[in-house]
Amino acid sequence: MTDTIQTAHDNPLSAGVEERVIGPCRVLMMPTPVQGVVSWEGSFTAHPDMAGGDELVQAITVRLLDKGTTLRDRFALAEDLDNRGAQLHFSSDALRVGFQGKALRDDVPDVVRIMAEELRHPLFDAAEFTKAKAQFMAGLQRTLENTDAQATAALSRRLYDAAHPNYIPPTPHSMAQLEGLTREQVRAYQARHFGARDLLLVFVGDIDTEAVAQALREAFGDWTDHEAPPLFSTAMGVLPPDQSRIVLPDKENVDVRMGHTLSVYRQDPDYVPLYVASYILGGNFSARLMTKIRDEMGLTYGIHARLSGITREYGGHWDIGVTLSRAYVGQGLAATLDEVQRFVDEGPTADELEEKQTTITGAFKVGLATTGGLASTLYRHAIQGFEVAYLDRFPEEVAAVTLDRVHRAVQQHFRPDRFQTALAGTLAEATVSEA
Amino acid sequence: MGSNPAARSTALTHDAFTFVEASGGIEAYRLTANGLQVLLLPEAAAPVVTLMITYRVGSGDEATGLTGATHFLEHLMFKGTERFNKQQGTSVFNMLQRVGARVNATTWIDRTNYYALLPKESLPLAVEIEADRMRGARIAPDDLASERSVILNELDRGENEPLRKLYQAVWSMAYVAHPYRHPTIGWRSDVEHVTVEGLRHFYDTYYWPNNATVSVIGDFDRREALDLIAAHFGVLPHAPKPIPFERTREPVQRGERRVVVRTAGHVGALMIGYKVPPALDPDADALNALARVLAASMSGRLYRRLTDQGLTAQVTAAASHTRDPGLFYFMAMLAPGRTHKEVEAAIYDVVAQVQAEGVTEAELQRAKNKLRAEEAYSRDGPYAIAAQLNEAIAAGDWKLYTTFRERLERVTTEDVQRVAQVYLLEDSRTVGWYVPS
Repeated sequence: MTDTIQTAHDNPLSAGVEERVIGPCRVLMMPTPVQGVVSWEGSFTAHPDMAGGDELVQAITVRLLDKGTTLRDRFALAEDLDNRGAQLHFSSDALRVGFQGKALRDDVPDVVRIMAEELRHPLFDAAEFTKAKAQFMAGLQRTLENTDAQATAALSRRLYDAAHPNYIPPTPHSMAQLEGLTREQVRAYQARHFGARDLLLVFVGDIDTEAVAQALREAFGDWTDHEAPPLFSTAMGVLPPDQSRIVLPDKENVDVRMGHTLSVYRQDPDYVPLYVASYILGGNFSARLMTKIRDEMGLTYGIHARLSGITREYGGHWDIGVTLSRAYVGQGLAATLDEVQRFVDEGPTADELEEKQTTITGAFKVGLATTGGLASTLYRHAIQGFEVAYLDRFPEEVAAVTLDRVHRAVQQHFRPDRFQTALAGTLAEATVSEA
Repeated sequence: MGSNPAARSTALTHDAFTFVEASGGIEAYRLTANGLQVLLLPEAAAPVVTLMITYRVGSGDEATGLTGATHFLEHLMFKGTERFNKQQGTSVFNMLQRVGARVNATTWIDRTNYYALLPKESLPLAVEIEADRMRGARIAPDDLASERSVILNELDRGENEPLRKLYQAVWSMAYVAHPYRHPTIGWRSDVEHVTVEGLRHFYDTYYWPNNATVSVIGDFDRREALDLIAAHFGVLPHAPKPIPFERTREPVQRGERRVVVRTAGHVGALMIGYKVPPALDPDADALNALARVLAASMSGRLYRRLTDQGLTAQVTAAASHTRDPGLFYFMAMLAPGRTHKEVEAAIYDVVAQVQAEGVTEAELQRAKNKLRAEEAYSRDGPYAIAAQLNEAIAAGDWKLYTTFRERLERVTTEDVQRVAQVYLLEDSRTVGWYVPS
């Protein structure tokens, strides 16, 4: 096996990461040789009340952040960013509000100030609120037509309690909630849930570290924590194994999602062996499922197996997905289940393990080749609770997994007999059957 | 970036290659034995390299009966050769992905490209594989059968997406003769009936070194790369016959065309396409600038006139960058409760305003500033450069990529107004409505 990843024992990649505390911010900065470009990613924990429908309120709140502040109107802000060619995005990510940016070196401090202004002083103009609702509604309506989104959401409802961060409500439910949403609710949400809780920022690239540090001090130095407590459920596996069928008209293709919950959190010792095992089954084009179901049998354009929704705060699930033309749903589903069961019964081979270990570690290295990729990886490790050196340790952990370890993890955690299944498309039965 | 004749002094001399020219840090060579074009861009910011091969053939080279051939061959090129195949445990995906490479291929109207983004030490493997399958693809009956159903599933997935159907419907209506009217994936019945012989003939017509460009971008040594390419590609012959170049010329459009796509759904959409010259035409840059000004996120005219006024959920404009005359198009997703008619009218208002008054210096400068930043961003990792270089190669000149910024800097507000007046005309437009039922 070829392993050219720098290890913690010689010239570690993570040695280039500078860690600072600036006001309430935990900041990671990693200068790289790229010329003139900086990417960053970050978030704070907002703790939406998941059972109370806060996730949608948070999504609308985030959508309004770049629609004007109490200091500048939306067009002035947009023109400022466009004049610099800077990119700035906000996202609603379950328990967190996230932000991503990219700018030229000299513009980074100013764009950071704009980002802080939009997070801390949003205007919530009435007309913008109305438009944001309409645009979000259009997005939900498009989701209604999307077989992949509908199958994924239906599976989540079979797997998780309604207050679990991985639960996706039925689209009509979200649409009804959106109809009744008021601007006051959004304003109140921002006031109660926005603040410097677990505020993390990761910068990678041609960074002027002191200029960025100064901008962060000015922008966030006096930002305090908010008062919202954690309000989410970790309950999973609430239903007996069964199938949800979402009937959508005029669809030539059917999307299928199968899976069961896993009582494994990100920091558990079994996570990496399970990750490797699932990769062997369905992680890339040369994995078992693609080789068998697509390459040999020609039944699908795409099939995967992966661990999904697992964090350090809550468990997730093992997710098998396959896309099938209408005429091949029965055959494709049967073939997929056969292959999954065979994998669980027999486990991977030593050759498969070795091949996928080099694939994963090599792909990890390739993924660090851009400032955005590196920022994203450092950010993800940080919110998973790992130290900076995990940048070097992760590939070592993957390389150290033994065949015996993978077999044991598979036997202990992977149970196809417990699969929940969700199908979405133009299906044989005309009724929707869903718990 | 820009042309740099002085770069000739840093170009390598190599027995197997002729140095052609340099621009924007990229050196172009020609493999003397067979005419293969080679582009080298060393960028050592990270220890990775992208190897890409672009064949100058796409769905624009296909005739009815064999539509989808380029895309089908894209699939079959991964099914193996005598040396790299699944039966021996040496399939292309297997060999490249096991070293961590990101591997894929894409096909569009003027080109098909195969690429790998991989650790730099694996460059020799990627070169060997691409050279081997350039003339060594098996195109076997069993592989054709299994890939046919895969592609039909891919087609079905596309049928599920209303915007994709709308986009294709407008292109198919806009072109009555030119092959740009064919969907790149092919018409369903052609995919169902294509034969090994038909694909083999297409492969033997277009897949030759003198119809291809190899691009190497990232952390590599130029001489070592040229040595590798010479060793593996140098044994391949030049095409025995001229590569067909001419395509059926599209007659001038002399009247508006309209098409409606109806399918089950909830959110309507609208697309308007205007006939515009190809990427190598002098007006292409002004058209690109016009699209950038109109579609500039929240500061753009389309956002202000449509999305900000509650007419659309999203709206954009783009100028296609093609070898033959293409389309300048608007694409809009309607906001709930709005009609196609009013959104269409609003877009024409925006067009009319530009035709009458032009764009402002501030708007144009913003577009240029944004491009300057985008150019820097494109140097962040070798794949982004490869993707843009690919489209320039397909359009007819790889230097379209390296000289784009300096050309856009020369565009004036008068140029932008003029191209709006010359090309965005009722008689040269095709309008498509996606009407959810």
